Amino acid sequence: MASQNFRRQLRQAMDALSGPPSPALSARVRASLRETPERPRLYWVAGVAAAALAVALVAVMLVAQAGGRLGPLPVPGSVPGGSTSPTPTPPSSPSPSPSATADASPAPFLCAASRPLSVQPAPPVAFIDAIRTGTHPGYDRLTIQFQNGAPGSIEVRPQDSTTFTESPRGSTVTLAGRSGLLVIIRGADAHTAYTGPRDFKTGYPGLLQAHQVEDFEGQVQWGLGLSQPGCYRFFLLTSPDRLVIDIQTS
Amino acid sequence: MMAAVMDQQLQDLERARAGDSGSFALLIEPLLDPGFRLAAVMLADRTEAEDAVQEAALKAWRKVRQLRGDVGSLRSWFLSIVANECRMIRRRRWWQVVRLAAPPPAPSPAWRGAEGGTDLRRALLKLSAQERLPLILFFYLDLPLEEVARTLGVSPAGAKSRIYRAARRLRPDLAVEEVL
Repeated sequence: MASQNFRRQLRQAMDALSGPPSPALSARVRASLRETPERPRLYWVAGVAAAALAVALVAVMLVAQAGGRLGPLPVPGSVPGGSTSPTPTPPSSPSPSPSATADASPAPFLCAASRPLSVQPAPPVAFIDAIRTGTHPGYDRLTIQFQNGAPGSIEVRPQDSTTFTESPRGSTVTLAGRSGLLVIIRGADAHTAYTGPRDFKTGYPGLLQAHQVEDFEGQVQWGLGLSQPGCYRFFLLTSPDRLVIDIQTS
Repeated sequence: MMAAVMDQQLQDLERARAGDSGSFALLIEPLLDPGFRLAAVMLADRTEAEDAVQEAALKAWRKVRQLRGDVGSLRSWFLSIVANECRMIRRRRWWQVVRLAAPPPAPSPAWRGAEGGTDLRRALLKLSAQERLPLILFFYLDLPLEEVARTLGVSPAGAKSRIYRAARRLRPDLAVEEVL
């Protein structure tokens, strides 16, 4: 009953705003259609030209950004086999999940689901500005870097399959491999500062593919396709802020 | 009968794709009414709503070759173009108000005259365009959930949650089963 009342009142409210269109609308639309030639090809050409220009601009920005930021501050995982000295920083709040450690004292690998890692204080939205993959003796690494601080919460969920649901579209995507990890980053976005690839096919021993499955309303999710069900660890590093996910390979 | 109508629409669509504006007008004609109702509630202004529908029809005509799917997807495709046009008009309106210091459009007489459900109407007008759109599609235009989802460009589950969230903004005490 309440439902019917709600529907009825809502329809009345909308009808009061709208009502039927003017009888002249149809003739007006017909006339404007007659006067407007269809020019799909011109639009298509203009679209391609605009896209090419945008790609060129993005490439220039990426080159400028890489030259200015990544050069002096290399991140573990960014260069396969590369050895760097990251600044280890524990998470601000205690958590039973893997905590912030560096390669010098790596967190233990987990082989089951872990609890979310909370970060406080965190910016309202942490802007992802770089994503890298790398392979090292014993593990493969995915690094997600943030421009303005670490995100509010991070969760990693193992799963038996490599099929993930893309949000908010609802479609599914199946990645390479035999098992998967879903990385959920809350309080982040990947469209303000990040213009790089949303899919990495690595060919590494453990991490075969990484694919973004959500970047919507402050939540970013990445699906990882693994060669076999395995163990993983994740932790945060600073300078710059970044989330590191390691997939154990031996 | 239904099959014959679909065949006719399919032929019109093929001719429209080939550049026949008359065939396109035949296809779009039945969609002007729902398109106008959507725009009128989105914009709360009948004149702007007619402009939005006319502009959306022109854009649809220019993009008709890009229409994916069959004639069955024509309505959700056109309504999504109308909704986009409304968003652009709302943005433009904000700019015009700042620039010209013009008063906001007066509510229609029907609006002023109605007494019942005043709170609901006020709440409806306070919703953002993004929140208002799923409610219009589902409750006012009576589109099936799958078509609401196609128009919004989300999954049916996503459409359901948007409808419920927006309805809860109007009536916080509503349960899911009362909405969907």
